[in-house]
Amino acid sequence: MATTRLDPAPEAPAPRGPHARRASSRVRQGFAERIAPYAYIAPFFLIFAVFGLFPLLFTFYIALFDWNPIGDQTYIGFDNFTRLWEDGRFWNAAGNTVSIWLLSTLPQLMLALVLAHLLNHARLRYAAFFRMTMLVPYITSVAATTIVFAQIFDRDYGLLNWLLGLVGVGPVNFVQSVPGSHLMIATMVIWRWFGYTTLLYLASLHAIPRETYEAAAVDGAGGVKQFWHITVPSLRPVIIFTVVTSTIYGLQIFTEPLLVSRAAPLTCGPARECQTLTLFLYEQGFGVFEFGYAAAVGVALFVMVVALALINYLASSRIRSER
Amino acid sequence: MMTSTPRSRSRRPVDRVRWWTYALLILGAAICLFPVYWMFVVASTDTATATEMPPEIVPGGNLPHLVDLVFSTVPFLRALVNSVLVAGTIGVGHALLCSLAGFAFAKLHFPGRDTLFLVVVLTMTVPTQLAIIPQFLIVAELGWVDTLQALILPGLASAFGIFWMRQHLSTALSDELVQAARIDGANTWQIFWRIAFPIVRPAAYVLGLFGYVTAWNDFLWPFVVMKSPENYTVQIAIKALQNSFDIDLGLAMAGSFVATLPLLVLFVFVGRRMVAGIMEGAFKG
Amino acid sequence: MFTRKTPARLRTAASIALGVVFAAAGCSNGPGSGGGRSFEFWSFTGINQEAAVQEYERANPGIDVRLSEVGSSVETAQSLTIGLAGGKVPDLVLIQGDDMPRFVDQPHNFRDLREFGAADVQDDYLDWVMSQSVAEDGSIIGVPTDVGGMAIAYRADLFAEAGLPTDREEVGRLWPTWEDFIATGERYTAATGEPFVDNAATSVFYQAVNQVSRKYYDDEGELVYAENPEIRDAFELALRAVDAGITARQSTFTEGWSAAMKQSDFAVVAAPSWMLNSIRSNAPETAGAWDIAAIPGGAGNWGGSYLAIPADAANPEAAWDYIREMQSPQGQLRHFTSSGALPTTPSVYEDERLAGYTDPFFSDAPVGRIYTDSLLGLEPFHIGPDSAPIGQEFLNALTDVEQGSGDPARAWENALRNVEIAIGE
Repeated sequence: MATTRLDPAPEAPAPRGPHARRASSRVRQGFAERIAPYAYIAPFFLIFAVFGLFPLLFTFYIALFDWNPIGDQTYIGFDNFTRLWEDGRFWNAAGNTVSIWLLSTLPQLMLALVLAHLLNHARLRYAAFFRMTMLVPYITSVAATTIVFAQIFDRDYGLLNWLLGLVGVGPVNFVQSVPGSHLMIATMVIWRWFGYTTLLYLASLHAIPRETYEAAAVDGAGGVKQFWHITVPSLRPVIIFTVVTSTIYGLQIFTEPLLVSRAAPLTCGPARECQTLTLFLYEQGFGVFEFGYAAAVGVALFVMVVALALINYLASSRIRSER
Repeated sequence: MMTSTPRSRSRRPVDRVRWWTYALLILGAAICLFPVYWMFVVASTDTATATEMPPEIVPGGNLPHLVDLVFSTVPFLRALVNSVLVAGTIGVGHALLCSLAGFAFAKLHFPGRDTLFLVVVLTMTVPTQLAIIPQFLIVAELGWVDTLQALILPGLASAFGIFWMRQHLSTALSDELVQAARIDGANTWQIFWRIAFPIVRPAAYVLGLFGYVTAWNDFLWPFVVMKSPENYTVQIAIKALQNSFDIDLGLAMAGSFVATLPLLVLFVFVGRRMVAGIMEGAFKG
Repeated sequence: MFTRKTPARLRTAASIALGVVFAAAGCSNGPGSGGGRSFEFWSFTGINQEAAVQEYERANPGIDVRLSEVGSSVETAQSLTIGLAGGKVPDLVLIQGDDMPRFVDQPHNFRDLREFGAADVQDDYLDWVMSQSVAEDGSIIGVPTDVGGMAIAYRADLFAEAGLPTDREEVGRLWPTWEDFIATGERYTAATGEPFVDNAATSVFYQAVNQVSRKYYDDEGELVYAENPEIRDAFELALRAVDAGITARQSTFTEGWSAAMKQSDFAVVAAPSWMLNSIRSNAPETAGAWDIAAIPGGAGNWGGSYLAIPADAANPEAAWDYIREMQSPQGQLRHFTSSGALPTTPSVYEDERLAGYTDPFFSDAPVGRIYTDSLLGLEPFHIGPDSAPIGQEFLNALTDVEQGSGDPARAWENALRNVEIAIGE
């Protein structure tokens, strides 16, 4: 522990901003005091260096090799990348990732908007119960969720197809068809996140003064009109935020497709119906042990994330400046 | 949809909650709860009835038997202990380390602070999964494959947690208070423990809870690193229950239920705090 | 309000938690006590390895075998590879035959079992099985534990309802060829409106493709999967079975397959000896309704495994003692009577305990005799390092058609293209 020291001249509150000059009239502090802030942030940076930054840089390095974890490592330059570019499996995984992301994001946002609007009633009873229930899917593990949903969606023995059968539809092959499996995984993602998103939106709605709604009501705007004219516009920033986070999450979808298809787990079905990019990376790395090729997939993912982050940044700054 | 209410009513229309609002909310709640309930139903009937149509929607009496089977098929108890250890350590460590770092970024002045914080923010957007191959190689190099520290260390601090705690401290702790403490002769460490931490304790608690839940439910990393059944976390144990030759749906469902139940119980007590946490940590545009 | 004690308490709690974690991590490493006689063993799930291990522990008091049932055979091989890469290996590991060539190609990862005297017992095992675990430098990587053999398990009660014969000899005569098998299926489906066989990919293609003289490689180890007519024939056969509409379209070892078996939604499944256990545990309520008949198309083998000792094993001698005792001809015979896995040691094939063995679950079928007969006249084919992924791609292409997504006319080309991509040729 650092010893207690008298510090007769407290430093001036630092001006804000990255270019602010530090006040130079500072009394010298002890070494322990000066090092303290660095010590406080060191754990994160240490962990990030070992498990984040270094692996990231190392990924670029491994991607230049034909890297067999139990055999040889041969330098092959950019061969992994040219192979990736021509690999239909990679583009298929990219397509699946985008498709599942689209199917899960839009409905989730709509659902969350409507529910947040409903939950925003000042006189709603049992509001706490409803809010808590919305978070149950979030605390249920993806593994457990997937097992349950795969059963519900099963072609011959699932609850859903039985229900569809009652109204004379089906049976629909959800698990082993492209649209079906995408729909099923998107449903899982929606189920998991819509409550969480609802709460985020609700928090933003709380910031809207009630008078705004009351004034609209006095002007004769009904619930639906209020929703479109007040709720949606004031939520725009948080909607952008959730789109960004769901994009980043969408690129990482892995557990659901892995556990969906018992027949071909690493490919999410015999014809890679719902193999996502992260699952493709895993398959190449820990299924067929082409570490170099898997690293190249990782690099491609990284490029996508950076590109998406840039697009998001540009889009949101455009929207801000338009206001 | 409904039309707006006639204005002759004494009550303001905005205050009236219509019946269909409740109907929709109840439907939403039911959708949230049903899969967990269905887990319980399938886990408590045997597989033969689980796949028969029309389905049973009332729990049967088979749960104890299946739960027994869960614990004998894979070392599930050990997995529960492992998950509690990993998630607990991550929860506590996460809360403390993020509070400390958030405090440093919010209230301390040191060369390179803003640059370093920018780095923290930037790391939030990089999905670490894409570097799973080298991460594995590093863990192998350290000799940590199949050890719990391989699961714990990477989760001890997160960029989001630091970002969140910094936001909290910037608004909740006034600079004057920090200054006053300095004049009283407190050093930085004491200021953190005596002034800053008590203020952000509720936030740190919520952060710890989220760290706990995330660690409990994590799948990919433990799946890569953990090889021996005695080191499985519950999520990997669920996967192991999906036995390759003897497929017992009820067993997998029972395992899922057993893995979810501890969190559900915890949630009953801390759910309100988590809801509040999400709403407070909400993005302020 | 917060007292000064609280942070200290918290810190103590945190350090205790950390301490516990590291202690727990510490005690999960290395074999337990037992003076180098105990060892760690990775095996597959679902083959009841536990029974063999318990038997060994009973016979050898003081030895503690730490068995891990890792997952399916594929997952076990993947875990072994990750373990080899990550420096975390067991003392003894079970490897499925199809995964063996990849490991035999990298013999430095395993102990050469000749060090322990494997050369003296080499001749106890079927030549063509043993040869697959011998590396180019002559080192012996594994000892074979069992072979599959081939047969068809069928539901005699459902056959009766469909007006088909139920006696196993007569049923065998229904289908000398695979064409006859499909025709029988059509009869069954026409009579009952129910699917006949679980799926075409494994119950037809995987069987037919294992009855060939050359498979994916020729005897020199050159890839011939694309031009080998025997492969194409097996593939077309499976497509015909799909087209005939006689399959339940349930992939082997999936939840749907298991449920369909429980609910009598198909009447026939291809069953090598190790499959019997699976049927028994998946559909216990169908006991006595099953019987076993000869497979169409003659001799062949599907499956079988090996025991190997990784190079970095901490207790290799203890692992070898287990192999020597449990995989001796007598040891395999004992294991057969408890689990049904067919021995790889031909010297016991005429033993009454095997030849006369009947299984009540399968209407007292003489399973020992049926499976050893299915191996007679077997011409072994060369298995290469990519045999497993090649087989998997063919299987996937057929499953895709069977699930209603793939176009049967283009399935063969798709399969070839996917194989090329998968093995990087």
